[in-house]
Amino acid sequence: MRRPQKSCPFCEGRVRWIDYKDDRTLGRFITDQGKILPSRLSGTCARHQRQLSTAIKRARYLAIIPYLKGHTA
Amino acid sequence: MSRNYEAVYIFDSTLEDAAINEKISRFHGLLGTPEDPEVSHWGRRQLAYSIGSRENGYYVVSRFAAEPNVLPEYERALRLDDGVIRYLITLHEHEVGAPAMSEEELAAQAARRDDDDDDED
Repeated sequence: MRRPQKSCPFCEGRVRWIDYKDDRTLGRFITDQGKILPSRLSGTCARHQRQLSTAIKRARYLAIIPYLKGHTA
Repeated sequence: MSRNYEAVYIFDSTLEDAAINEKISRFHGLLGTPEDPEVSHWGRRQLAYSIGSRENGYYVVSRFAAEPNVLPEYERALRLDDGVIRYLITLHEHEVGAPAMSEEELAAQAARRDDDDDDED
């Protein structure tokens, strides 16, 4: 069974390159725990999903978004 | 050949603004670029998680064109500076906020997607 094609939100917004400093956009593509949302759920195309995963990892390093949400040291 | 870079620095938020500006100009001095880098201050903001005992940081983003061979010295200075909590240097050649994809590019992409679908059926 093939799942129905979802359209990529970045292609629709005509985004060329995903910015790792844009926490609002990145925040839409992480789960409640802070995991990267799979493209099967978000509909992101392969090219943008690759960019997104790099951007999220950079943003995590810079403490712009958390590695793990709801965790207190 | 010089390349375009983007660097993000997170400074200790307890530092004075003057001290931060002084550090930034010292780092940029090491790059040996003729024109001044484009610097944007985000200011103090809360870190998404604590780094050591720090909960806040002073974020600065700078963009510059530099020769790749000057970077090791520049990076060494950043690493040794206690006022810098974290830094990230990335190549900035992907035109963030570049002109949107044209109709033709979108059509080409849609066509490729349709082709892929045909293969699967």
